[in-house]
Amino acid sequence: MIDSLKHLPPGFIMMLGALLLPMLGRRLSAAAALVLSLLSLGLFCAMPAGEFGQLELFGNQLNLVRIDRLSFIFGLIFHLAAVIASIYALHVQDTKQHIAAMIYAGGAIAAACAGDFVTLFVFWELTALSSVVLVWATGTERSYRSGMRYLIVQVLSGVLLLSGALLQLNETGSLAFVHLAGDATSVLELSTGAKLILLAFGIKAAFPLLHNWLQDAYPEATATGTVFLSAFTTKLAIYSLARGFAGVEELIYIGCAMTLFPIVFAVIENDLRRVLAYSLNNQLGFMVVGIGIGTPLAINGAAVHAFCHIIYKALLFMSMGAVLHRVGTTKATELGGLHKSMPWTTGFCLIGAGSISGFPLLSGFISKSMIITAAGQEHLFWVWIVLLIASAGVMEHSGIKIPFFAFFAHDSGKRVKEAPLNMLIAMGLAAAMCIGLGIFYPLLYSLLPTEPMAMHHGHEEPYKPYTAAHVITMLQLLMFAVLAFVVLMTTKLYPSEVRATNLDTDWFYRKPLPWVLGSIGAAIGWFDKKVRAEFIDCGKSFIGRLADGFGEKGLMGGTWATNAMAFWAAMLLGIFLLIYYS
Amino acid sequence: MNDSTSKDETQSWFEKRGNVRTLIGVLIVACIGLAVADLFYENDHAHFPIEKSFAFQAWFGFVVFVVIVFLGVALRPIIKRSEDYYDR
Repeated sequence: MIDSLKHLPPGFIMMLGALLLPMLGRRLSAAAALVLSLLSLGLFCAMPAGEFGQLELFGNQLNLVRIDRLSFIFGLIFHLAAVIASIYALHVQDTKQHIAAMIYAGGAIAAACAGDFVTLFVFWELTALSSVVLVWATGTERSYRSGMRYLIVQVLSGVLLLSGALLQLNETGSLAFVHLAGDATSVLELSTGAKLILLAFGIKAAFPLLHNWLQDAYPEATATGTVFLSAFTTKLAIYSLARGFAGVEELIYIGCAMTLFPIVFAVIENDLRRVLAYSLNNQLGFMVVGIGIGTPLAINGAAVHAFCHIIYKALLFMSMGAVLHRVGTTKATELGGLHKSMPWTTGFCLIGAGSISGFPLLSGFISKSMIITAAGQEHLFWVWIVLLIASAGVMEHSGIKIPFFAFFAHDSGKRVKEAPLNMLIAMGLAAAMCIGLGIFYPLLYSLLPTEPMAMHHGHEEPYKPYTAAHVITMLQLLMFAVLAFVVLMTTKLYPSEVRATNLDTDWFYRKPLPWVLGSIGAAIGWFDKKVRAEFIDCGKSFIGRLADGFGEKGLMGGTWATNAMAFWAAMLLGIFLLIYYS
Repeated sequence: MNDSTSKDETQSWFEKRGNVRTLIGVLIVACIGLAVADLFYENDHAHFPIEKSFAFQAWFGFVVFVVIVFLGVALRPIIKRSEDYYDR
């Protein structure tokens, strides 16, 4: 059976199965979504490596399926994320959310295994169209508008991807999704097509200034929807960058900027799900730096970090989703003291927080340290420093702020029920994976594109995360960051949470742009009105003149007296006679 | 969304002042221990000289954390608007 199914894009079971969900009704569709994810996972693991599903389109070779080590690790983690998120969403009785989530997850998996740009484009856009439903499912005016902005940005990214792919086809005669950078180490050396494709990937990877759709839309989605959203779109972009643009130097600096600016925004953001969105942006920065460095160790670091990140980020979004589900808000100003009523959620959140911060024995440690080591190995001192700063920043917003303000801090007095069982099971699974990956890391390392090797005293040896130096220096960084937090709290220098909207780049297209467009529209409207009024006036006066001539009293239209008619007839006959005889 | 806003009189372990002090005490001891630990191993994986200086990542983590928080405080007046800013 695998022999024939291997030609279909991985994830097709989820996409096709999603279309059958409406027939199952509200109660069964959630369970069916979980079954679909598990089926797809099983099938994916049984898939052989290689290229399948060759098609010809207008004389161009398409390759629907390409399973190699890079696409496998992303396909695998996308499947695991879909399974966990489906368990988390088991209580949701809104069928459209399950349909959207399955098409979204299946589309992302298919895109990560696409061997050519046309296939990639189709699934790239499918993820955009399906995921926006998860934002709209909140059902508020706010989420509708946010979803619209999200959709416009995502579709734009797809259009850029297709344009770039067509230029690429024109230049190289091939649509194959290969390493586009070639020998180029700078964006400037890339072809125009490759530049457009990089821009398309950059939008989805939330590059600085192109990032704000993420912080805008993700916190507006439903409690369960954000868990799906956090896993796929941006990591699909990371996969695509790793595939197409590894070793492009500018990515190092773009990545550095991505790790830095969100941590400052996260300090003062009140909505904890938006804090997590900034945190997501910061984590993507680590991966982009790894891709930019481009050495095998750095690419491995980006891939392993994406893998671990999807789990712990989903865990953090799940814990905040549970809070949203029970309390109705994730605003820090409204929360606090929830550890008393949601102890399990608190525990799982702390594991996620420890994991993202990079505490030893948790998954973030074995992934982040690989990228930092890769930067060190290339002697990129300032990049290395930036990554350390970013690590302390992660500790601030995800390690401390999220759990502290939601579950501890001042008691908000809110007494709620613990999260529903299915949510707890999903969080428990993710937490177990965070710990499992941190301890049994060789299992994950064995799935990486290449065996991670590090230089040691001039010769290569397998990369080891647990060295005395790694563990102690990382713990120093993290524990002294915690100490700094304690000092700032006890001296009351830590800024209190306040209800506010913080401006980001979305301000440009939410305030001035509508004003400019509105003014242009008004000007066009005024001009149009004037021109039309002028035309109508001209028309009226013309019709008025016609009416004068042809009206019942006009020269042409009026009735004449019989004697006048007889006179003129006689006159005409007389003239005719004269002319005839002359 | 079945919350009640009545204050629970019973304090949890984390809310008792003594316990918080103990936790902070443990943290301080751990930090001192981690800094001192630098004297007891050779960092032969160091890529930069500064990595070999005493407790570099310790003071660096502390300073960076404080700077990040203060940058946030400085940024707030510039970008802060009322909660319904975009809805108006």
